[in-house]
Amino acid sequence: MAFLELENISKLFGRNTAVDHVNLAVEHGEFLTLLGPSGCGKTTILRMVAGFEVPSEGYILLDGEDITQRAASKRPMGMVFQSYALFPHMTAEQNIAFGMNIKHVPRETIQKRCAELLELVGLSEKGRSFPHQLSGGQQQRVALARALAVEPKVLLLDEPLSALDAKVRISLRNEIRRIQQQLKMTAIYVTHDQEEALAISDRIAVMAKGKIEQLDQPEEIYSNPRTIFAASFVGSSNQFRGKLASASQGLCQVGNHLLHIPPATNLKDGDAVLVLVRPEEVNIEAAETAGDSDANTTGNHIPGVIELRTFLGPFTRFHIRTEEGVSLTADIPSQQARDNYVAQHVILSFAPEACQVLPLDSEDAKLVKQVEAEAV
Amino acid sequence: MQVGPGNIAQRAVADELTRPKRKDESRRGGFGLDKVALALVMLYMLVPLGATLAFGLATGTSFDFSTFSRIFSDPDFSQTLLTSLELAFGATILAIALVTPTAYWVQLRMPQLRPLLEFLSLVPFAVPAIVLSIGLLQEYSGTSGSLISILSFGLVPFMSNTLNIVSTPPLLVCAYVVIALPFVYRPIDNSMRAINTTVLTEAAYSLGSGWWRAFLTIILPNIWPGVISAALLTFSTVMGEFTIASLFNIYTFPIYLNGVGQNDPHKAASLSVLSFIFTLICVLGIIVLVRNRRGGAQAANQVDIAGVK
Repeated sequence: MAFLELENISKLFGRNTAVDHVNLAVEHGEFLTLLGPSGCGKTTILRMVAGFEVPSEGYILLDGEDITQRAASKRPMGMVFQSYALFPHMTAEQNIAFGMNIKHVPRETIQKRCAELLELVGLSEKGRSFPHQLSGGQQQRVALARALAVEPKVLLLDEPLSALDAKVRISLRNEIRRIQQQLKMTAIYVTHDQEEALAISDRIAVMAKGKIEQLDQPEEIYSNPRTIFAASFVGSSNQFRGKLASASQGLCQVGNHLLHIPPATNLKDGDAVLVLVRPEEVNIEAAETAGDSDANTTGNHIPGVIELRTFLGPFTRFHIRTEEGVSLTADIPSQQARDNYVAQHVILSFAPEACQVLPLDSEDAKLVKQVEAEAV
Repeated sequence: MQVGPGNIAQRAVADELTRPKRKDESRRGGFGLDKVALALVMLYMLVPLGATLAFGLATGTSFDFSTFSRIFSDPDFSQTLLTSLELAFGATILAIALVTPTAYWVQLRMPQLRPLLEFLSLVPFAVPAIVLSIGLLQEYSGTSGSLISILSFGLVPFMSNTLNIVSTPPLLVCAYVVIALPFVYRPIDNSMRAINTTVLTEAAYSLGSGWWRAFLTIILPNIWPGVISAALLTFSTVMGEFTIASLFNIYTFPIYLNGVGQNDPHKAASLSVLSFIFTLICVLGIIVLVRNRRGGAQAANQVDIAGVK
């Protein structure tokens, strides 16, 4: 039995289903991230685990004990909020001591533990500071220390980094991960930032419309998405909608082109599919130098014109318009991209193995459009 | 009807408490239009007070301070002042004790009820004091109908028949709580909205705190400016209230002041000035008490900061 289990949990707000029969098991010491767009139900799940919302259906079990109806104040959870939620009239130390005072921890122990926690989050000098005297990142560190002070069995983090600027966000997320691993703390982390989720999680639950689309390790989620939504939401990808010309030979008809894809055993000829290719899997070569050699090599070759060139440090992103008017993206290591320029005619190429093929039904297509719209 | 210039002082101080502080105020120099406007406003408020004081002390050709000794030796003065103070403190404490947890509860659990509460808090503005007092006298005189009995869960017949509450100071305090409702609810509700009440409460819950502890140790210290503002406005309203007290036949300070004014205008003017000074001392006392309270001043500053964020 897992340490924390959500059994068939649902939450309805009026007629709206926020969480729809979700099952989730979190192991002891695991860092699990709930990832999804706004309104997918991830925060509602976290709030149900914290005790701020009561599930409409289902059970929450902690260490085998049913805590579904238990009040938030009686649950052994520590919560870190998006807006920090530090008590403004208390110093950092007093904030951290608050939970321990309620538990009647002896004064000397509280002082010792406050000092330890402040050191853990790297704020030993700021114990006497009030929240308004601290930066956003420092406030969130204090909030983390405060949540850890009550020695929770599960640490809940509700988009804790989204109010911070990019640099602080990265350093603090590493710090959260370090502390979680150091304390072997079970943690549930909610975010809509896929990069953040991929960086710090043991496992990620990708959510959409109140359901878990895929629950897997970050590498699996990225390289082997099981649903169209997971593929579209995590990372960026070039998408081709087409029909399987030959499932066994790995051929897919996209417009006038035949794409070479891995043989699809679970699909049959004529099935509508979505072929996804990550931008870093795409290569580009100047059309004049590519010559006839392309025709002899296996894989996919699509001619196009560079529309936009964006330097992103380690790699350069190219937006290329194909002859059929489709815009594709290629991420090329910056050192290899020096000779490519806007308006250049190029040949895009990618191996069949780089293609992920997913069956496409109308419902999925809608979801993809929604994700694309939100991304814009 | 409000009697006594004390109201002006108290409301000005109450406004000062809830006014957002600007950092650049102290940096401004020179004698600009803003200073002229400020001087005019000060004149507008202080000239009537000065004129009242001058009139109170004037004997025709010179000033005479004996009016004050006559006032202090008048037993009605101390008795009515004490009664008004008791009523004011009673109404203030009751109003704050009723409204603050209610506003918190609504904010937390029933935010959709906020418009209703806002509307209810404005109703006393629409109902003239004379209507309110006649209504109260009518209902609590033991002649209330069965509808009132049902609506009040039997409380009105119990209070009027068993406790015989009609025309007593406790009922007057209750009436004052009603007329003070707009002054109490608004500042408290605004203060609660300035801080993130729900999230702070949830943070307290997650650390093992219950509802009352969260309210008393987290929310209340952060809404102090609003609570103090509400307290000052209620206090000043009750100290100057005339109509309801008069109809209840309770001899309060404004009624005494009115009576004196009809016989001895000079004495009444001096009394007004005394009333102003006295209420000003009370108000400043409350502010000093709150400022010196541990965390009080800090909380006062924090609300502005939380509001900015």
